Amino acid sequence: MAKAPPKRPNRDSVTTINDDGSRFFLHPADAHGPWVIARRVAAVLLIAIYVSLPWIQIGGQPAVFLDFINRRFHLFGLTFGAGDIWLTFFLITGLAFFLFFTTALFGRLWCGWACPQTVFLEHVFRRVERWIEGDAPQRKRLDAAPWSPEKAFKRVLKHGIFIVFAGLIAHVFLAYFVSIPQLYEWVRASPLDQARAFGFILIATGILYFNFVWFREQLCIVICPYGRLQSALIDEHTINVAYDERRGEPRGKMGTEGAGDCIDCNRCVQVCPTGIDIRQGLQLECVACTACIDACDEIMEKVKRPRGLIRYASEETLAGRKTRYVRARTVIYMVFLLLGLTVMTLAFSSLQPFESNISRMPGRPSYVTDDHIRNQFLIRLGNKRGEPARFHVEALSMPAGMRLVGWETSVELGPYAEESRPLILQQERAHYTGPVPVTIRVRTEDGRGVRERTLEFLGPDPRVFAP
Amino acid sequence: MKSDSPDKPEPGSPHPHAGRDDIPPGAVLREHVYDGIEEYDQRLPNWWLWTLYITIIFSFGYWFLFFTSRALPTDSERVAAEIQRIEALRFEQMGTVDAETLWQMSRNDTILAQGARVYSVNCAVCHGANLEGGIGQALNDGEWRWGHDPMDIHSVVDLGSPDPMAGMQAWGRQLGPRQVAAVVAYVLSHNDPGNMFTAADSPGRASER
Repeated sequence: MAKAPPKRPNRDSVTTINDDGSRFFLHPADAHGPWVIARRVAAVLLIAIYVSLPWIQIGGQPAVFLDFINRRFHLFGLTFGAGDIWLTFFLITGLAFFLFFTTALFGRLWCGWACPQTVFLEHVFRRVERWIEGDAPQRKRLDAAPWSPEKAFKRVLKHGIFIVFAGLIAHVFLAYFVSIPQLYEWVRASPLDQARAFGFILIATGILYFNFVWFREQLCIVICPYGRLQSALIDEHTINVAYDERRGEPRGKMGTEGAGDCIDCNRCVQVCPTGIDIRQGLQLECVACTACIDACDEIMEKVKRPRGLIRYASEETLAGRKTRYVRARTVIYMVFLLLGLTVMTLAFSSLQPFESNISRMPGRPSYVTDDHIRNQFLIRLGNKRGEPARFHVEALSMPAGMRLVGWETSVELGPYAEESRPLILQQERAHYTGPVPVTIRVRTEDGRGVRERTLEFLGPDPRVFAP
Repeated sequence: MKSDSPDKPEPGSPHPHAGRDDIPPGAVLREHVYDGIEEYDQRLPNWWLWTLYITIIFSFGYWFLFFTSRALPTDSERVAAEIQRIEALRFEQMGTVDAETLWQMSRNDTILAQGARVYSVNCAVCHGANLEGGIGQALNDGEWRWGHDPMDIHSVVDLGSPDPMAGMQAWGRQLGPRQVAAVVAYVLSHNDPGNMFTAADSPGRASER
């Protein structure tokens, strides 16, 4: 491999994609400093949360257990059924506006600090690579070196560890959907007996491995829609990772007459995981990872100049004006965020510990006997809690001569049990005056849940019975 | 878009942007200009192009496997096969049920416990908690409207009453063959085998429809 001239980032093309469409593989240098440490602490915490949530038990169920097989979703002690799926609208819009709100204020905090792509790539996979293959120049040399036993050993070790970590992440992911005991059972079974679960793990591991070993920043630059939304979400008052052009320019080596603070050492470019030059301003590729802040601060210390040539700052601050936090966009995002939060709280507080659905039995809408008009329904009850519950079913607002048959006593359902039972409304013909709505109320004996549903009691035209 | 855009390449012009100092040499711009915004015409990443090539290759494989060679069953064929399998299972279970078996089942405590459970959930509303009748017929008096052979009773439960005005629906689909047999056995256990008769005004036997 011929020694290519060092690539200079520019604003007209993506550094990591060459002119012929091939990939330019980056080897970012190490950055050291308080931001790197803070981000590493955050990453360790986030990974700990990710790994431990399926293990933590709340109310007899894992803290997060999305049980698609049984259509039950356990979240921090609450259990949701398939019928509660509409609640996710408020959850998802609430999270979206929270993301918009923080983006308008502080830019891409999510990308740099919390996104799984960054967390696993920067703090797990790149660390392994750094440990085995050495720092950036050593990695570049290894890439260019011909195959040797040493290179083969390093590569096998690195890819082996990558596959193990990718497999672990995939297993934890699957545990969110099947729970740890089930996963453990599957892991111990023969792959042939658990072909689907095994196939899922195989494919997920493969995707994660490919992503973290080769694809890397391409996900953020080309695929992730959040990055593309930035220009619509931020403005001049948004705080981003930014280069202080007024202080830094014109660049020049130490001692140059009239030069700014930037000594053009290129450290900020060398540490960048997406291959940009932050001194060219805010760019789509920037994931606000703060590596260039630490890199520049380290140099500024060495040359005895104040830190913060690259720092968290808004365009307004850098232009010498004041950053405003209260702006139309932040207020609107916050209003939507609070609105979503309020509606979500109200909606979640109306969550019932059981499900009930009433449908008409197959056959006729109504049956007429010598004395009665009758409507036949099936009521499906589902207990969403991990303990038995008794249910009462009663009819409200019944007209004269009508009776709900078969629900004189309550019904007990075991933990998470579901049951269909007939529910029959019957009215004496003498009192029948035509179709009428009837409200059915289902409540648990302990009073923790009540649901009501209005049915239409149907029958023939009453004039048929006219004397 | 201005029709006389200066960026519009002249036919035969080798380098339409020659002389412009705001774009790097060699860069190619797309033809369109919207509100002064122009677009580079750069090569797509190779990996991105490969996703396209792979889908094209995949479509040939898909077309060959599902539509030409028919080596793999289509979704509708798989559904049909699965329905066949379920039906075969049903027939298998049904084949073991006859009048004699039902009487035998009506003396088996395990079956009766299952049958009692099915009865209380599904049947008691209309036929009474003690089979004494209500909206529906009494089931403990030995008198049977649609024939007194156990298979007649089984047929009414499985397929519903032959009289569409009666309101007894077909429970076979909801309960399945095992539970239907168990509940019929439970009902039989409340009757005396020596005192079973068809109602005088019976329109015919249910199992012969």
